Order: sequence, then C-alpha cells, then structure tokens
Amino acid sequence: MGDYLVCRLDRLRSTQNPDGGWGYFPGNKSWLEPTIYAALALHGETAADRAWSLATSWQQSNGSWRPAAEVAVDNSATALCVTLACVRGEFDEPFRRGVSWLLSTVGSEYGLTQRMIGAAMRLFGLTPDRNRSLTGWPWKPDEASWVEPTCHSLVALKKASQEFSGQLLRERVRLGEAQLFDVRCKDGGWNYGAPVARGVDLPSYPETTALALVGLQGRSDLGPILDRAGRLLESTPSPLAQAWLRIALQVNGAKPAAPPAGEPSRDLLLTALEALAAPEGNHGLLKARLA
Amino acid sequence: MKLSRRDMLTLAGAGALGGYAALDARSKPAQKPAGRSAVAIVKAASYTGDLVSRMRAGIRECGFDVENCVRGKRVLLKPNLVEFDPHTCINTNAAVIAAAYEVFESLGAAEVVIGEGPGHRRDTYALAEMAHYRDEIPKFDARFVDLNRDDVSPLRRFADREEMYFPNTALRADLIVSLAKMKTHHWAGATLSMKNYFGLVPGSVYGWPKNELHQIGIPQSIVELSRIFRRSFAIVDGIVGMEGNGPIQGTPKPAEVLVMGSDLPAVDATCCRIMGLDPAKIEYLAMASDVLGVTEEARIDQRGEAIRDVRTNFELIGEWRHLRA
Repeated sequence: MGDYLVCRLDRLRSTQNPDGGWGYFPGNKSWLEPTIYAALALHGETAADRAWSLATSWQQSNGSWRPAAEVAVDNSATALCVTLACVRGEFDEPFRRGVSWLLSTVGSEYGLTQRMIGAAMRLFGLTPDRNRSLTGWPWKPDEASWVEPTCHSLVALKKASQEFSGQLLRERVRLGEAQLFDVRCKDGGWNYGAPVARGVDLPSYPETTALALVGLQGRSDLGPILDRAGRLLESTPSPLAQAWLRIALQVNGAKPAAPPAGEPSRDLLLTALEALAAPEGNHGLLKARLA
Repeated sequence: MKLSRRDMLTLAGAGALGGYAALDARSKPAQKPAGRSAVAIVKAASYTGDLVSRMRAGIRECGFDVENCVRGKRVLLKPNLVEFDPHTCINTNAAVIAAAYEVFESLGAAEVVIGEGPGHRRDTYALAEMAHYRDEIPKFDARFVDLNRDDVSPLRRFADREEMYFPNTALRADLIVSLAKMKTHHWAGATLSMKNYFGLVPGSVYGWPKNELHQIGIPQSIVELSRIFRRSFAIVDGIVGMEGNGPIQGTPKPAEVLVMGSDLPAVDATCCRIMGLDPAKIEYLAMASDVLGVTEEARIDQRGEAIRDVRTNFELIGEWRHLRA
C-alpha cells in the first residue's frame, strides 16, 4: 500500500469522533456524508463497523436518513447509506426501508401536473427547462432533481438491484439516467443540473462531470465522456475534482495516473475520497451494475 | 406557552450558541428602521490602492457604532465566492477581504473569521485558491470556515418553513460583515449585500444550488435572511463590478467605489442608484423598504461621494431592462 493511501487512512483513523462518525473537519460533529465515505475507505476495519452503527441510528421512520444527529431533515445522503449497506451485505429492514424511500422520492419537476405543464409549454412553442417526463432525485423531498443526488441514488439502486428486484427499481434507474443526459451541458459535461439559464448555456464542472460518470457507470456509451474526464483530471486544480475523476475513471474500467504525493487535507470528506480514489484504495466498492 | 420536546431541543441547542437574538425568527417584533440611515460611498479606483484607509474612512463617515458593535465582538466577514472564471470578476476581490480583515481586527474585534458557503457544489478551497484568496489573505485557511459544511443549529420559522438550519459560525457571530460584489443578477435583478446572505444557508442540509431558497421564493428568502441576521454591516465591492448576465457570466464593470453602511437595504438601494437601477423596482428591496431599512433616496444620508458623481449605468439583460432608473 502506497504512502499516499496510508497517510490518508491514518488521518481518518485518528479523526474519528467518539460516536463513530466523522465531521467535515477535525473536531466538528459527525455528519453522514464524511462518515459514509470514511467507512467505505476503511471498509473491513472496526472503525467502519462503528461508523455503520452510528449511521443506522440516524435512519428515520420513513426510511430516509438524516444528515446529522441533530438535523431532522430527510436527506439524499440516504443513497450513500444504501450503498454502504450493500457493500457490507446488510440487507435487513433498514436497507429495505432505505431503498423504498429512494424509490418513492422523485423530483418536483415530475408528475402528471408537471408533465401537462411541459406539454402545454411545447404547444405554445416554449421549451421547458427540462424534460418533465423524466426524474432523478432531489437533495430533499419536494424539490427539483439535481445531478449529485441523482448520481448517488443511481449507484445505490444499481447496487441494491442484487437484492431488491422489481420493475420500479429498473424504471427509476432508466428515468434517472435519462434525466442526467437531459441536463447535460452543451460542452459535454455536467454542472449541478441546469445546463441553461435565461436561454444562455452554462458551463459544466469537473466535480459533477465525474459524479455523473459514477452514476452512469455500466453504460456502453460513455467512451467520449471518459476521454473528457481523463483530460479534466490533467487540467483541474481542484483536489476534490481530481479525487472524483479518479474514482469515476476507475469504476468505469480506466486506469488514471497515480495521484502525486502529498499530505492529506484537513478536509475529511476530501481525505476519504482521496483514499477511495487511490490506485489501491476501495474505489471498487462504488462499482455498481444493474443485476 | 407549552413547548414541545422539539422546541426544547431547539432552544437547548440555541442556548449553547451563546444566546443568538433571533432563534425564533418571529419571536420579536421587527425592529422598525430609524427615520434615516447613513451610507458612505468611498472612491477606490483600483484594488492596489490603500483600501484599509478607505474602509476606515467609510466606516467613520457612516457613523457605524464601532464601540458597541465591533470592540470585543466576534465578527464574521462574508465575501461573495461563487465560481471562478479568469475572464470576468465573479467574486469579492481578495484585496477587499484582506483589507476588511485588517480593519475589523484593528477596530478591536475579539475574533474575525471569514466564512462563505458557495451556491454550487464545488471545491470551495480550490475556488478560493483560484480567486487568489490564499495568496492575498494572510493565514487564509486558518481564518476561513466553509459555511456549507459547518456544524449547524435550527432557527424556528423561516418564511413558511417551521425551522431552518444555519451554520453555527454565522449564528455565533455578533456582527456579520457582508462583503458583497456589485453585480447584476439574472434571477434577482441585482445581487448586493442582502442577496450575499444566500451563502449563509448550509448546502450540507439543503443541497446545492440551495433549492430550498428558490422554493420559498428568491425575494422572500433574501428578505428573511437579512431580517434574521440583523447585526450586520455591509461593504460592497464596486471597484470592479459585473454587468449584463450576472452573477457569473456577465462582464466586468468598473464603478470604482466601495459602498458601506449598517442599513443593508439602504446600502443596496444606493448601489442600485450607482448602477443606474431603480431600487423600487427590485422586488426584495421593495419588500424590505421600511421593514428592514430605508431605501428612499431622501431618507438616506449620503456620505462621501455623491451618487451623481459616481453613477455608471450597468448593462442589463432583456428580462431586467425595466429596472433602469
């Protein structure tokens, strides 16, 4: 195991909170997102078991997960918990309720009324901001779908399909992937999920382009986008984007160059993602294919 | 009044924050604005000049109560860091933030931190690097808090929401200094010191691009944020603003001013007049007028430069041409 990975895993081990989770930064309270990624990076260790125990205590009665102990909000990080449950082989009731919540959560742009509005707009020669017959996932219920929660939910459902079969799951994956392509930016990548504002094209970002490739993994039509991701990896100065791009390329079968040596950041989410993205890291745990 | 367990927990969390005044955003009647407000317009031709002296002059000219609002207090500097594009000027310039840091530290603040929660899920530190914040602001990493990923506490009642979570760094601050950029905005008309507070809403809870605020309504959210975070002072970076398709894809527009004051609607109304916009036509300023501050020109004591001497019309996209004064 290379020094790059070792020092990141050591940093994660030394910054785990007493409750078993991780904050976004050392000394902060535990949050679901860094906790799940750290648990994936440390999969197989006791630290990861403690993280899972904490995470399961945050599941709410409707099946969703709250993003932190004291934040009573249904949150799209539920998808990350379903993914971790699959990785750990924890296919019991919390997993099933989490999957059910994901399957029942749609973007506010979707539904019969929205589709009728979209059809009426087209009738008058107007172009709706997005195809309202498609849906991904919102950050929280009753809001519009956005790229990042959609990508995490696609990974979760593809992994869950090994245990949780059904037409609805396949349909949600189909709709989610189709929406990702519907909101792709003109430059070929993705931003947060709005390719146009006021009729003007908006640019994509390397972070969200990488996430889209993670969500879309398993498709046969990603070649040009993967090439683009490889170029972005060489040009982006963002460590976060580099980590996600490395993960995206590797789960899609590519072998990016190893990251340059360097100390881990105090940003623990970034540290966990860099550990996952390392050549010997656990990025393979994010591989997901429909069964 | 009987408190539910949830209320008790909310209050307990709030108490731990040191008694933030507006934990129930509607528990106190809105403090009506004073009859008049002072706003300072300070000429600054470039970012390489002595911004510290100019800021000190502006703070003095607008009569800001430094003794009670700054000395011994926790001050949060809230710049506008959104995206980075080397061809335009999206963000509050690093020199303005560095100068504000020095000014508020020298005015006796017990603590000065810089905090921002960008509206898009990007690498905040990489954005700060590209915007030269790390180069130009001493010890930037130690002084900066990513408000999108700070620990949070709930406030009860925000617009039509039962509760809303905010970063503890913002809730703990005795004073928030809105270091905004003078820009046009494709959804709001103009983004100035009040709109800048969108960055106080944590992405870790509400996601990016903070859709919750759009659901509530952009003007309503701007007013609510300014009402909740009333202990504020504004310094708007109009040295080089942005016109046209702001807040990201517009073009640089030098206005060569810093605009300052503790009445945020008055500061923003003054900025609009400098930009050649009618503040009465900006929905959030119309809503805030006489509720959070004053916006009528006759009720603003203009200090420093006169508006007529610095007015420079900002280009507007088609949807907002009706804002032209």
